[in-house]
Amino acid sequence: MKELTLELALKMIEAAERWARDIAGFPCSIAVVGKSGTVIAVHRMDRAGMATTDIAIEKAWTAVAFKMPTLMGSRWLDPRNLGKLMGDHAMGMIGRGKGRLCFIPGGIPITDEENEVIGAIGCSGVPSGVGDISDTSVSQVGVIALYE
Amino acid sequence: MMNLEMAKKLLQTGMKKAQEKGTPCSIAIVDENGWLVALHRMDGAAIPTAEIARDKAWTAATFRIPSAEVSQFGDPKVPGYGFNVQNWNERLTTIAGGMPIWDGDRFIGAIGVCGGTLEEDVTLCKKVIEETGQRT
Repeated sequence: MKELTLELALKMIEAAERWARDIAGFPCSIAVVGKSGTVIAVHRMDRAGMATTDIAIEKAWTAVAFKMPTLMGSRWLDPRNLGKLMGDHAMGMIGRGKGRLCFIPGGIPITDEENEVIGAIGCSGVPSGVGDISDTSVSQVGVIALYE
Repeated sequence: MMNLEMAKKLLQTGMKKAQEKGTPCSIAIVDENGWLVALHRMDGAAIPTAEIARDKAWTAATFRIPSAEVSQFGDPKVPGYGFNVQNWNERLTTIAGGMPIWDGDRFIGAIGVCGGTLEEDVTLCKKVIEETGQRT
């Protein structure tokens, strides 16, 4: 099983950063965590909000803790699902995980060749709803860079 | 002013120095208000070092003095005693290894190092700041 090293983490972050700056045009924070959810590297781009670093780390932590993108979990907290049958929402998730859970789209787990989760990448600071540009797309660029 | 380019330069210098010494560590760079700009945990560095490095940098940036010197405010022998240096907030730490960074007369941010012994951490901070042409 491949280990996520600082070198690989920086390769992902650099690629995502370049994409966020040159193509998306939004300054943001990008974080990479290891397979136990521990921080490996965090970068906050110039003019990105100061709280974005923590949210990027939380998104990455949540992605690795649930072994799935936070985009999928965000559906659980959709208030439009309230009042429906049990299982359609999971509002009890709010405040779990010692406050580290963050089901805002933007965190993606990283898997090795054997489909084992070896870490996650998280991005915060890019507004959603501007075409294909979002926190998730910045994170995706980072994941793709790992396989180049 | 601290920007990502400057933070990367400091981190690269620090990581090179730590690799030469053979002590894996975490290095955090914060801006003039103590907010994180970049944080690297080297391969082999213990897990809590990342958060401790950030705490040290925050303390150095907000007090604008080396993090170890903050303990003087909690010393009963020093005039002005009364500051709770143990648990004033969840970020404050008096562990050595956080250093403010000045660019001439302008305060630009702080660096925090955690991973080796306290002397090693402090020496690494000083060397990095020196090498990038700033002062503590």
